[in-house]
Amino acid sequence: MICLSNNEQGADLLAGYLAKTLDSDRMAELDQHIQECADCRGLAMVWERLDEFAVPEVTPGFDARLYAHIAREETRVLGWRNLWRNRLWRSIAPLAAAAALVAVALLVYPGKPDAPKQPGPTQSNKAEIEQVAQAVDDLDLLTPIDR
Amino acid sequence: MEAVVALERDAQLMLRVREGDDTSFALLLERHRGPVVHFMYRMVQNQAVSEELAQEVFLRVFRSRETYEPTAKFTTWLFRIATHVALNSIRDRKKEKGHESLDEEMLDGMERQVADRQPTVEQEMVHEVKLREVRQAIEALPAKQRAAVLMHKYEGLDYEQIAGVLSCSESAIKSLLFRAYEALRGRLAHMA
Repeated sequence: MICLSNNEQGADLLAGYLAKTLDSDRMAELDQHIQECADCRGLAMVWERLDEFAVPEVTPGFDARLYAHIAREETRVLGWRNLWRNRLWRSIAPLAAAAALVAVALLVYPGKPDAPKQPGPTQSNKAEIEQVAQAVDDLDLLTPIDR
Repeated sequence: MEAVVALERDAQLMLRVREGDDTSFALLLERHRGPVVHFMYRMVQNQAVSEELAQEVFLRVFRSRETYEPTAKFTTWLFRIATHVALNSIRDRKKEKGHESLDEEMLDGMERQVADRQPTVEQEMVHEVKLREVRQAIEALPAKQRAAVLMHKYEGLDYEQIAGVLSCSESAIKSLLFRAYEALRGRLAHMA
Protein backbone atom coordinates (compact mmCIF):
# COMPACT_ATOMS: atom_id res chain seq x y z
CA MET A 1 0.00 0.00 0.00
CA ILE A 2 1.45 3.37 -0.98
CA CYS A 3 1.76 6.05 1.65
CA LEU A 4 2.09 9.79 1.11
CA SER A 5 4.34 10.09 4.15
CA ASN A 6 6.90 7.75 2.64
CA ASN A 7 9.62 9.94 1.20
CA GLU A 8 10.20 7.82 -1.89
CA GLN A 9 6.59 7.36 -2.86
CA GLY A 10 5.19 10.42 -1.17
CA ALA A 11 7.35 12.91 -3.02
CA ASP A 12 5.94 11.67 -6.29
CA LEU A 13 2.32 11.54 -5.21
CA LEU A 14 1.74 14.00 -2.44
CA ALA A 15 1.46 17.24 -4.37
CA GLY A 16 -0.68 15.56 -7.03
CA TYR A 17 -2.98 14.05 -4.43
CA LEU A 18 -3.40 17.32 -2.55
CA ALA A 19 -4.12 19.24 -5.76
CA LYS A 20 -6.32 16.37 -7.00
CA THR A 21 -4.42 16.03 -10.26
CA LEU A 22 -3.78 12.27 -10.00
CA ASP A 23 -5.86 9.81 -12.04
CA SER A 24 -9.14 8.69 -10.48
CA ASP A 25 -7.94 5.16 -9.59
CA ARG A 26 -4.93 6.49 -7.70
CA MET A 27 -7.04 9.13 -5.99
CA ALA A 28 -9.51 6.50 -4.82
CA GLU A 29 -6.67 4.31 -3.56
CA LEU A 30 -5.18 7.16 -1.57
CA ASP A 31 -8.57 8.27 -0.24
CA GLN A 32 -8.95 4.75 1.15
CA HIS A 33 -5.44 4.79 2.61
CA ILE A 34 -5.96 8.10 4.36
CA GLN A 35 -8.80 6.63 6.36
CA GLU A 36 -6.25 4.29 7.95
CA CYS A 37 -3.09 6.42 8.09
CA ALA A 38 -2.84 9.25 10.61
CA ASP A 39 0.28 10.72 8.98
CA CYS A 40 -1.41 10.98 5.61
CA ARG A 41 -4.53 12.42 7.22
CA GLY A 42 -2.27 15.06 8.71
CA LEU A 43 -0.94 15.96 5.28
CA ALA A 44 -4.45 16.21 3.83
CA MET A 45 -5.39 18.44 6.77
CA VAL A 46 -2.51 20.79 5.93
CA TRP A 47 -4.03 21.42 2.52
CA GLU A 48 -7.37 22.35 4.06
CA ARG A 49 -5.75 24.57 6.67
CA LEU A 50 -3.87 26.47 3.99
CA ASP A 51 -7.24 27.49 2.55
CA GLU A 52 -7.65 29.69 5.62
CA PHE A 53 -4.68 31.87 4.67
CA ALA A 54 -6.73 34.79 3.42
CA VAL A 55 -5.20 37.80 1.69
CA PRO A 56 -6.27 41.46 1.66
CA GLU A 57 -7.70 43.08 -1.45
CA VAL A 58 -5.32 45.02 -3.68
CA THR A 59 -5.51 48.72 -2.79
CA PRO A 60 -7.40 50.88 -5.33
CA GLY A 61 -4.45 53.07 -6.38
CA PHE A 62 -2.18 50.18 -7.35
CA ASP A 63 -2.42 50.66 -11.12
CA ALA A 64 -2.09 54.43 -10.92
CA ARG A 65 1.07 54.13 -8.82
CA LEU A 66 2.53 51.61 -11.24
CA TYR A 67 1.88 53.78 -14.30
CA ALA A 68 3.33 56.81 -12.52
CA HIS A 69 6.43 54.79 -11.72
CA ILE A 70 6.70 53.66 -15.35
CA ALA A 71 6.29 57.24 -16.59
CA ARG A 72 9.05 58.50 -14.26
CA GLU A 73 11.36 55.78 -15.43
CA GLU A 74 10.62 56.43 -19.10
CA THR A 75 11.37 60.14 -18.62
CA ARG A 76 14.67 59.30 -16.93
CA VAL A 77 15.63 56.88 -19.72
CA LEU A 78 14.79 59.45 -22.43
CA GLY A 79 16.90 62.02 -20.61
CA TRP A 80 19.90 59.70 -20.63
CA ARG A 81 19.38 58.88 -24.31
CA ASN A 82 19.26 62.57 -25.30
CA LEU A 83 22.38 63.28 -23.26
CA TRP A 84 24.18 60.42 -24.97
CA ARG A 85 23.13 61.60 -28.42
CA ASN A 86 24.37 65.17 -27.69
CA ARG A 87 27.72 63.91 -26.50
CA LEU A 88 28.06 61.63 -29.51
CA TRP A 89 27.35 64.55 -31.84
CA ARG A 90 29.99 66.66 -30.13
CA SER A 91 32.53 63.89 -30.68
CA ILE A 92 31.87 63.29 -34.36
CA ALA A 93 31.30 66.93 -35.42
CA PRO A 94 35.04 67.78 -35.69
CA LEU A 95 35.65 64.60 -37.69
CA ALA A 96 32.79 65.47 -40.01
CA ALA A 97 34.20 68.98 -40.49
CA ALA A 98 37.67 67.61 -41.35
CA ALA A 99 36.20 65.19 -43.89
CA ALA A 100 34.27 68.05 -45.51
CA LEU A 101 37.47 70.17 -45.83
CA VAL A 102 39.36 67.32 -47.51
CA ALA A 103 36.51 66.87 -49.97
CA VAL A 104 36.55 70.60 -50.80
CA ALA A 105 40.32 70.56 -51.25
CA LEU A 106 40.07 67.72 -53.70
CA LEU A 107 37.44 69.60 -55.69
CA VAL A 108 39.46 72.86 -55.77
CA TYR A 109 42.74 71.16 -56.62
CA PRO A 110 41.99 68.42 -59.11
CA GLY A 111 44.57 65.73 -60.14
CA LYS A 112 47.76 66.39 -62.27
CA PRO A 113 47.22 68.27 -65.63
CA ASP A 114 47.14 66.36 -68.91
CA ALA A 115 50.53 66.03 -70.54
CA PRO A 116 50.76 68.29 -73.70
CA LYS A 117 50.52 66.50 -77.07
CA GLN A 118 53.71 66.29 -78.99
CA PRO A 119 54.41 64.91 -82.41
CA GLY A 120 55.58 61.33 -82.35
CA PRO A 121 58.58 61.46 -80.04
CA THR A 122 61.82 60.04 -81.24
CA GLN A 123 63.64 57.46 -79.25
CA SER A 124 66.07 60.00 -77.81
CA ASN A 125 63.41 62.55 -76.88
CA LYS A 126 61.22 59.97 -75.18
CA ALA A 127 63.47 59.69 -72.18
CA GLU A 128 63.63 63.50 -71.82
CA ILE A 129 59.84 63.78 -71.95
CA GLU A 130 59.49 61.15 -69.28
CA GLN A 131 61.97 62.96 -67.10
CA VAL A 132 60.07 66.24 -67.52
CA ALA A 133 56.76 64.57 -66.72
CA GLN A 134 58.28 63.05 -63.58
CA ALA A 135 59.62 66.45 -62.56
CA VAL A 136 56.17 68.05 -62.96
CA ASP A 137 54.66 65.32 -60.81
CA ASP A 138 57.26 65.96 -58.13
CA LEU A 139 56.49 69.69 -58.20
CA ASP A 140 52.78 68.98 -57.75
CA LEU A 141 53.47 67.01 -54.60
CA LEU A 142 55.46 69.94 -53.20
CA THR A 143 52.79 72.58 -53.91
CA PRO A 144 51.04 73.58 -50.62
CA ILE A 145 47.23 73.53 -50.44
CA ASP A 146 45.83 76.99 -49.81
CA ARG A 147 43.01 77.03 -47.23
CA MET B 1 -9.10 23.90 -22.33
CA GLU B 2 -10.10 27.43 -21.51
CA ALA B 3 -7.11 27.74 -19.16
CA VAL B 4 -4.71 26.61 -21.92
CA VAL B 5 -6.14 29.14 -24.35
CA ALA B 6 -5.85 31.86 -21.69
CA LEU B 7 -2.17 31.06 -21.12
CA GLU B 8 -1.34 31.27 -24.79
CA ARG B 9 -3.28 34.50 -24.96
CA ASP B 10 -1.05 35.97 -22.26
CA ALA B 11 2.03 35.29 -24.36
CA GLN B 12 0.31 36.90 -27.35
CA LEU B 13 -0.54 39.94 -25.26
CA MET B 14 3.05 40.25 -24.11
CA LEU B 15 4.25 40.07 -27.69
CA ARG B 16 1.94 42.99 -28.47
CA VAL B 17 3.40 44.86 -25.52
CA ARG B 18 6.79 44.25 -27.12
CA GLU B 19 5.49 46.00 -30.21
CA GLY B 20 4.41 49.00 -28.15
CA ASP B 21 0.77 48.16 -27.42
CA ASP B 22 0.05 49.68 -24.01
CA THR B 23 -3.50 48.34 -23.99
CA SER B 24 -2.16 44.79 -23.95
CA PHE B 25 -0.01 45.64 -20.94
CA ALA B 26 -3.11 46.94 -19.17
CA LEU B 27 -4.91 43.68 -19.94
CA LEU B 28 -2.04 41.61 -18.55
CA LEU B 29 -2.00 43.77 -15.45
CA GLU B 30 -5.73 43.24 -14.99
CA ARG B 31 -5.36 39.46 -15.26
CA HIS B 32 -2.30 39.02 -13.09
CA ARG B 33 -2.31 41.90 -10.60
CA GLY B 34 -4.26 39.93 -7.99
CA PRO B 35 -2.29 36.68 -8.18
CA VAL B 36 1.06 38.48 -8.04
CA VAL B 37 0.07 40.72 -5.12
CA HIS B 38 -1.42 37.76 -3.24
CA PHE B 39 1.66 35.65 -3.87
CA MET B 40 3.84 38.47 -2.55
CA TYR B 41 1.60 38.91 0.46
CA ARG B 42 1.86 35.25 1.42
CA MET B 43 5.62 35.41 0.91
CA VAL B 44 6.33 38.50 3.02
CA GLN B 45 3.07 38.80 5.01
CA ASN B 46 2.99 42.59 4.91
CA GLN B 47 0.47 44.35 2.68
CA ALA B 48 2.42 47.54 1.98
CA VAL B 49 5.61 45.65 1.18
CA SER B 50 3.77 43.07 -0.91
CA GLU B 51 2.27 45.79 -3.13
CA GLU B 52 5.64 47.52 -3.52
CA LEU B 53 7.19 44.23 -4.56
CA ALA B 54 4.33 43.51 -6.95
CA GLN B 55 4.87 46.94 -8.51
CA GLU B 56 8.54 46.03 -8.98
CA VAL B 57 7.49 42.81 -10.72
CA PHE B 58 5.29 44.59 -13.25
CA LEU B 59 7.91 47.27 -13.73
CA ARG B 60 10.42 44.57 -14.65
CA VAL B 61 7.87 43.00 -16.99
CA PHE B 62 7.47 46.36 -18.72
CA ARG B 63 11.24 46.96 -18.86
CA SER B 64 11.76 43.52 -20.42
CA ARG B 65 9.13 44.00 -23.11
CA GLU B 66 11.58 44.65 -25.94
CA THR B 67 13.50 41.43 -25.34
CA TYR B 68 10.56 39.20 -24.39
CA GLU B 69 10.46 35.79 -26.04
CA PRO B 70 7.67 33.26 -25.32
CA THR B 71 10.03 30.38 -24.52
CA ALA B 72 7.86 29.32 -21.57
CA LYS B 73 4.32 29.93 -20.42
CA PHE B 74 3.75 33.56 -19.53
CA THR B 75 2.87 32.73 -15.91
CA THR B 76 6.10 30.75 -15.56
CA TRP B 77 8.06 33.81 -16.69
CA LEU B 78 5.96 36.15 -14.54
CA PHE B 79 6.35 34.07 -11.39
CA ARG B 80 10.04 33.62 -12.05
CA ILE B 81 10.35 37.39 -11.83
CA ALA B 82 8.03 37.52 -8.81
CA THR B 83 9.91 34.78 -6.96
CA HIS B 84 13.23 36.43 -7.67
CA VAL B 85 11.94 39.77 -6.32
CA ALA B 86 10.39 38.09 -3.28
CA LEU B 87 13.48 36.05 -2.41
CA ASN B 88 15.67 39.15 -2.69
CA SER B 89 13.33 41.04 -0.40
CA ILE B 90 13.24 38.25 2.17
CA ARG B 91 17.02 38.01 2.13
CA ASP B 92 17.38 41.78 2.55
CA ARG B 93 14.75 41.97 5.30
CA LYS B 94 16.44 39.18 7.26
CA LYS B 95 19.40 41.47 7.68
CA GLU B 96 17.23 44.10 9.31
CA LYS B 97 16.99 43.65 13.06
CA GLY B 98 13.63 43.68 14.83
CA HIS B 99 11.64 43.41 11.63
CA GLU B 100 7.93 42.65 12.15
CA SER B 101 6.79 40.59 9.21
CA LEU B 102 3.31 39.60 10.30
CA ASP B 103 0.78 42.21 9.33
CA GLU B 104 -1.08 42.19 12.61
CA GLU B 105 -3.40 45.07 11.81
CA MET B 106 -4.69 43.32 8.70
CA LEU B 107 -5.89 40.23 10.54
CA ASP B 108 -9.20 41.78 11.56
CA GLY B 109 -9.99 42.94 8.06
CA MET B 110 -9.18 39.59 6.55
CA GLU B 111 -11.25 37.77 9.10
CA ARG B 112 -14.27 39.68 7.90
CA GLN B 113 -13.44 38.81 4.29
CA VAL B 114 -13.08 35.10 5.01
CA ALA B 115 -16.27 34.52 6.98
CA ASP B 116 -19.52 34.60 5.08
CA ARG B 117 -21.59 33.75 8.11
CA GLN B 118 -21.82 35.74 11.35
CA PRO B 119 -19.52 33.95 13.80
CA THR B 120 -19.62 34.34 17.51
CA VAL B 121 -16.82 36.20 19.25
CA GLU B 122 -15.41 32.91 20.46
CA GLN B 123 -15.45 31.42 16.97
CA GLU B 124 -13.73 34.51 15.63
CA MET B 125 -11.01 34.24 18.23
CA VAL B 126 -10.44 30.56 17.48
CA HIS B 127 -10.32 31.28 13.78
CA GLU B 128 -7.89 34.14 14.36
CA VAL B 129 -5.57 31.86 16.30
CA LYS B 130 -5.70 29.19 13.60
CA LEU B 131 -4.98 31.76 10.90
CA ARG B 132 -2.02 33.11 12.83
CA GLU B 133 -0.61 29.59 13.21
CA VAL B 134 -0.99 28.89 9.48
CA ARG B 135 0.75 32.15 8.65
CA GLN B 136 3.55 31.43 11.10
CA ALA B 137 3.96 27.92 9.73
CA ILE B 138 4.26 29.30 6.18
CA GLU B 139 6.69 31.97 7.32
CA ALA B 140 8.85 29.36 9.04
CA LEU B 141 9.45 27.52 5.75
CA PRO B 142 12.72 28.21 3.95
CA ALA B 143 12.07 30.81 1.29
CA LYS B 144 12.25 28.46 -1.72
CA GLN B 145 9.97 25.89 -0.09
CA ARG B 146 7.58 28.70 0.77
CA ALA B 147 7.56 29.93 -2.80
CA ALA B 148 6.99 26.40 -4.15
CA VAL B 149 4.09 25.75 -1.78
CA LEU B 150 2.44 29.08 -2.57
CA MET B 151 2.74 28.55 -6.32
CA HIS B 152 1.43 24.98 -6.00
CA LYS B 153 -1.36 25.60 -3.51
CA TYR B 154 -2.64 29.07 -4.38
CA GLU B 155 -1.53 29.85 -7.94
CA GLY B 156 -2.16 26.41 -9.45
CA LEU B 157 1.20 26.08 -11.16
CA ASP B 158 2.17 22.51 -12.09
CA TYR B 159 5.51 20.78 -11.43
CA GLU B 160 6.93 21.79 -14.79
CA GLN B 161 6.09 25.45 -14.22
CA ILE B 162 7.38 25.52 -10.66
CA ALA B 163 10.56 23.82 -11.86
CA GLY B 164 10.88 26.51 -14.53
CA VAL B 165 10.39 29.26 -11.97
CA LEU B 166 12.95 27.85 -9.52
CA SER B 167 15.34 26.64 -12.22
CA CYS B 168 15.48 23.02 -11.13
CA SER B 169 14.18 19.62 -12.20
CA GLU B 170 10.65 18.34 -11.71
CA SER B 171 11.91 15.61 -9.40
CA ALA B 172 13.65 18.26 -7.29
CA ILE B 173 10.37 20.17 -7.07
CA LYS B 174 8.51 17.06 -5.97
CA SER B 175 11.06 16.53 -3.19
CA LEU B 176 10.93 20.21 -2.27
CA LEU B 177 7.14 20.16 -1.98
CA PHE B 178 7.23 16.92 -0.04
CA ARG B 179 9.61 18.41 2.54
CA ALA B 180 7.54 21.59 2.72
CA TYR B 181 4.22 19.82 3.30
CA GLU B 182 5.83 17.48 5.82
CA ALA B 183 7.18 20.51 7.70
CA LEU B 184 3.75 22.14 7.65
CA ARG B 185 2.17 18.93 8.91
CA GLY B 186 4.58 18.93 11.82
CA ARG B 187 3.69 22.51 12.73
CA LEU B 188 -0.05 22.22 12.21
CA ALA B 189 -0.65 18.66 13.44
CA HIS B 190 -2.26 19.89 16.66
CA MET B 191 -4.92 21.62 14.60
CA ALA B 192 -6.30 18.30 13.28
